[in-house]
Amino acid sequence: MLTTSDPPAPVPPGAVTGAAVIETTALTKRYPGGVTALDSLTVEVAPGITGLIGANGAGKSTLIKILLGLLPPTKGRARVLGLDGQRDAEQIRTLVGYMPEHDCLPPDVSATEFVTHMARMAGLPAVAAKERAAESLRHVGLHEERYRAVGTYSTGMKQRVKLAQALAGDPRLLLLDEPTNGLDPAGRTAMLELIARIGAEFGLSVVVASHLLGEIEQICDHLVAVESGRLLRAGSLTSLTQVSQLLLVEVADGPAGRTADLAGELGRRGLEPRPDGRGLLVPIVDEATCDVIRDAVADLGIALGRMEQRRHRVEELFRPADLEVTDGR
Amino acid sequence: MTANDMSSIELRGVSQWYGNVVAVNDVTMTIGPGVTGLLGPNGAGKSTLLHLMAGFLAPSRGELTVGGAPAWRRPDVYSMLGLVTEGESAYPFLTGAEFVRAAARLHRLPDPAAATRRAIGLVDMVGPMNRRISTYSKGMRQRIRVAAALVHDPEVLLLDEPFNGMDPRQRLQMMDLLRRLGHSGRTIVFSSHILEEVAEVAGTIQVMVAGRLAASGDFRAIRRLMTSRPHVFVVRSGDDRRLASALIGRPAVRGVELTADGLQVQAADYGAFSLDIAGLARAEGIRLRELLPADESLESVFAYLVAS
Amino acid sequence: MAADATGVIHDLGYQPYTGPRFGRAAVVRTLTGYSLRSAFGLGRGARAKIVPVGVFVLMCLPAVINAFLVARGGTRAFPYDTYSYLVRVVGMTIFLAAQAPELVSRDLRHRVLPLYFARPLRPADYPLAKLVALITAGLIVLDVPLLLLYVSTIVGVHGPGAVWHETVLLLPGLAYGLLWSVVLATIALALASFSGRRAIAAGAVAGFFFLTWVLSEVLGTVATGPGHAVTSSTAAHVAGLVSPFTLLDGVRLALGGTQPGQVPDPGAGWGSGYALLLVVLVAASVAALVTRYRKVGAA
Repeated sequence: MLTTSDPPAPVPPGAVTGAAVIETTALTKRYPGGVTALDSLTVEVAPGITGLIGANGAGKSTLIKILLGLLPPTKGRARVLGLDGQRDAEQIRTLVGYMPEHDCLPPDVSATEFVTHMARMAGLPAVAAKERAAESLRHVGLHEERYRAVGTYSTGMKQRVKLAQALAGDPRLLLLDEPTNGLDPAGRTAMLELIARIGAEFGLSVVVASHLLGEIEQICDHLVAVESGRLLRAGSLTSLTQVSQLLLVEVADGPAGRTADLAGELGRRGLEPRPDGRGLLVPIVDEATCDVIRDAVADLGIALGRMEQRRHRVEELFRPADLEVTDGR
Repeated sequence: MTANDMSSIELRGVSQWYGNVVAVNDVTMTIGPGVTGLLGPNGAGKSTLLHLMAGFLAPSRGELTVGGAPAWRRPDVYSMLGLVTEGESAYPFLTGAEFVRAAARLHRLPDPAAATRRAIGLVDMVGPMNRRISTYSKGMRQRIRVAAALVHDPEVLLLDEPFNGMDPRQRLQMMDLLRRLGHSGRTIVFSSHILEEVAEVAGTIQVMVAGRLAASGDFRAIRRLMTSRPHVFVVRSGDDRRLASALIGRPAVRGVELTADGLQVQAADYGAFSLDIAGLARAEGIRLRELLPADESLESVFAYLVAS
Repeated sequence: MAADATGVIHDLGYQPYTGPRFGRAAVVRTLTGYSLRSAFGLGRGARAKIVPVGVFVLMCLPAVINAFLVARGGTRAFPYDTYSYLVRVVGMTIFLAAQAPELVSRDLRHRVLPLYFARPLRPADYPLAKLVALITAGLIVLDVPLLLLYVSTIVGVHGPGAVWHETVLLLPGLAYGLLWSVVLATIALALASFSGRRAIAAGAVAGFFFLTWVLSEVLGTVATGPGHAVTSSTAAHVAGLVSPFTLLDGVRLALGGTQPGQVPDPGAGWGSGYALLLVVLVAASVAALVTRYRKVGAA
């Protein structure tokens, strides 16, 4: 443990090499019986927190098994942390921490015992395993409950134990499969914050497989979207959530008629608002558009509830942008 | 929407206990046509409530009616009610089409084949419908179960965590489906932990905490009712610091914080602040770029309800 | 004159691990050691120890009885190779039926295997480590009582010649105990690995050993005729094929073990047949185990 006068700044992940943590080249897997789980998937996963979305059950578990060297691909190649997926599989497995989606904890051991055992199975000597297990459990936020049998834990605590066993071996890359599965909203928030912290401060890269676009948008830097075994899109979150040239303006409370008044006034001032759910979408003409809106609102004495530049959303990969469609809520 | 609506669900003083465990505690609510989201932490009583609505249990106390009559011990309530439970119970050896048709025949529909086709079309499972359920992914199984619950065109549809296991495209389709069904006048109640989806689909929400009904209605309206909590806004302007200085002078503003991402304003009086802000910015000659309510999302409202 | 106040904030952030890392061999050894401890219920609470410790005590009873008899001036009451056939059959059946599921069914039921397979060991390493652990556990249960028998005997004999005599008899007995453990543990583990439910796995193991043993007893009785005079009839030898216990005993007899055994002396011909069948059983069980876990690993 270092002694400093200030906690050190967090280590940016991938600072050393900046190279891709996962690279697949035309990766294909066909099962007997005709199921094609992966179809010529070529993708590079950059360091940082990457979301993996869209892959259905077969594709996702197939991809994870191939990355861990447990399954040979039908065609193509995978490289993890610069190592060949088939040839260096064992070494890859020392460097990767995996958190499965399903329940995988025996109920009759304590978290401490289990994580220590798993750390030893990752190649750590006995004493180091005990220490790292204790540290991992602390990082995920399990305290005195770690000495109780895992069977007595809530879903949230179990998910944390699963995460702790993946961390205990000091991986360079974490593979988290649906880490918020089964958690209630508070549990999801806590888990997402934990993952964000791990990605930002622990100096390792994280791949989060999830179906929930909202949480991907919340914590991930990059995104890989797969569909039917093929790559749908890969890129940074910022490139997928860019601002559109539309301002959403909502009137706060009051009769709906005020929205129409505002629409009329904006029209008189040269803008072209159109209705959108409970507000108006105003195309941005130039820098001064927001001033026009501000002035119109002030002149009419309207309560302004929202003025927001609409961003694109990850959801648009799966559904065309409905910036024009009324919500009809 | 009156209490006698054929598709509305009404609870009056409903409690449900198992021994010493009070799963539902004195709940009074009316659920009408449209989509209602049922929310709450784990163990809050949502599943029990859905089971009560589905007529699986009689309330330990209170009255629960569906379409005007109690749901308990009334087999014909199932002609107007469809239920999709949590978990993955579907017979693996049947094909999807067989499973839905079996449901159609159990409902004694006059044309089971047509109803089956229609229901399977609604959930977009026409392609795999003749494959065995054991070959389906989790999301596909979920969709086929929704089809079976819809095959008799029920007026009331109850769903427990319906999006579980679905990939993003399937989720969006299911959300669209529920919205359409809600618009057509059906009463849809679904429970979920995924608040961003509930916010998009549900018109009203019912929030359960530890067996009690903590809040009902539109979540924005619920937020406005929390007057003891100042509303938090994020304001981005041409001159944040000057705007902050002007804002702190206003009685409606409890606090202002300068962050890298703009101003965080705590408004003790939501109405007064929102009336004030545009005029104030103009008077100061400050360009107002964005104004965003920061804690009006369903996530925030829910967190506040659970915390209090 | 106040001293300057100072303070320090320790870095409790995440520290990477910079120590030595063991490779596959050490990891497999660790798993074997861990499984061996599980086989005796160590580290798992008192209830898990009841059966293994109880069986161990049962297996030691003949040695304890021997100690009494020797103390009263008698000679060794049990041979080193057969020890007590009945106690061994009952003891090993119960031990393996209880502990083989403990080693493999638990991890299957709770789906822990993906965590193992995401670590630096190969899918086949897992069942083989478990197998070595169970064989070792069986060896302890079978051979430690032999050692007790030996010790309790040599305190009663005089002279290095007598001690050497006992030692020479002990050693093949220990080897035979190892053979028992190898055969029985392999079959038990293979059977247990097909179910994640402990009760079913235990039932399968106990059922297989017990039923085949009863069958061999019944057929043996029938084959030796109404007078129960043991003849070297083919029928009696065939009866011995039915149970691993009688196969083991047949091999022992063929190699010159103490008579009488559970089957009539098989001689070289039948003896080789028994040995071959044992090899086939062990090989098939190992193959089943490896295939089972390869399937689970890729599933």
